[in-house]
Amino acid sequence: MPVVTPSLALIVFLAGTVAGGLGALLGLGGGIFLVPFLNLGMRFPFQAAAAISLTTVIATSSSVSAGRAGKQLINIRLGMLLEVATAAGSLLGAATAMFLAPATVQRLFGVATIAVAIVMLTRLQRRNVLDPSTDPGVLGGRFFDDESGRDVAYRVKRVPFALGASFVAGNLSSLLGIGGGFIKVPVLNAWCGVPMRAAAATSAFMIGVTATAGAVIYYGQGQLEPALAAVAVLGVQIGSWGGMRFGGKASVKWLKLMMAAVLLIISGLMFARAR
Amino acid sequence: MTTTTSPGAKLERIIGTVLRVGVGASTVLLAAGIALFFWSGAPLAATLLNAGIVILLATPVARVVVSVVQYVNERDWTFTALTAIVLVELLVSVVAALVFHRRL
Repeated sequence: MPVVTPSLALIVFLAGTVAGGLGALLGLGGGIFLVPFLNLGMRFPFQAAAAISLTTVIATSSSVSAGRAGKQLINIRLGMLLEVATAAGSLLGAATAMFLAPATVQRLFGVATIAVAIVMLTRLQRRNVLDPSTDPGVLGGRFFDDESGRDVAYRVKRVPFALGASFVAGNLSSLLGIGGGFIKVPVLNAWCGVPMRAAAATSAFMIGVTATAGAVIYYGQGQLEPALAAVAVLGVQIGSWGGMRFGGKASVKWLKLMMAAVLLIISGLMFARAR
Repeated sequence: MTTTTSPGAKLERIIGTVLRVGVGASTVLLAAGIALFFWSGAPLAATLLNAGIVILLATPVARVVVSVVQYVNERDWTFTALTAIVLVELLVSVVAALVFHRRL
């Protein structure tokens, strides 16, 4: 267990701030960065790093979604449906660990994230929003788009694909200590017809449930250092507040560019760790 | 389906309240706990920190529970079933993992 010093607490607090900001802007919990940072950078044991990461993901999910509730950006029905697959995935996470070596998983993800980043970049100009008079169907939604200043609607396409991606995200959750937002947001946006802001809000909503099983397990095993979890969570509050305060009017094109950049960095990290 | 007073909007309000209460309570406890931790290291600090963490971890579960209840109230059986499955999956994975790890 890492020894808690004021300087370590400050570093973890700042890491939480970044995670909260990413959650508010892009719907990511930040675990994909936090685990290697704490594990490789700060020399925490993997389990201690994953425990803090999963706790941070839950805090990001709850505070971003609490701040957003009522704006109809979160697609609750779609989120609930995909959570069935996500939770099943985390249930079977241990089985995956037995069949695939971590390096294989990381290489696969390195390739997958590059591919997704390229797809995001080629679709920068394409918007998924439809005229507000369109029937969004059972799973689609409507919301007020700050950027264009009008109501928009969207329909959800390729639901089985979204279910598969959510299953994989859940599967990796407790294995890697992440919420899987980096899988859900690009898949929902690039393939399933969900506008970027709604995809980010729905992902932020879901990752809390994805991370809960893993977080409870690590906490029950005594792997979670309470003081560090506390400073990470406090950082998340500041970061998510800032992200929502200043990110609400950021252009969708800019958000997509940021997402693509994040994916390329993740890909690099995956390949570096797989060596 | 209308958008103004749709059942979805009501569920979103309820979930928003659950999340706000959970996040608010855990943040207050964690902030108090961490202040005490660095100030004196009193045993009370550990109690406050752990209480804050337990509330934080329970919040997503509470959010799923109120969703099940709300879908039952709306008689939306498809989503009652889906959210109930999520709840069962969550509980099973936690219980199974705790049992599994205790054997190790």
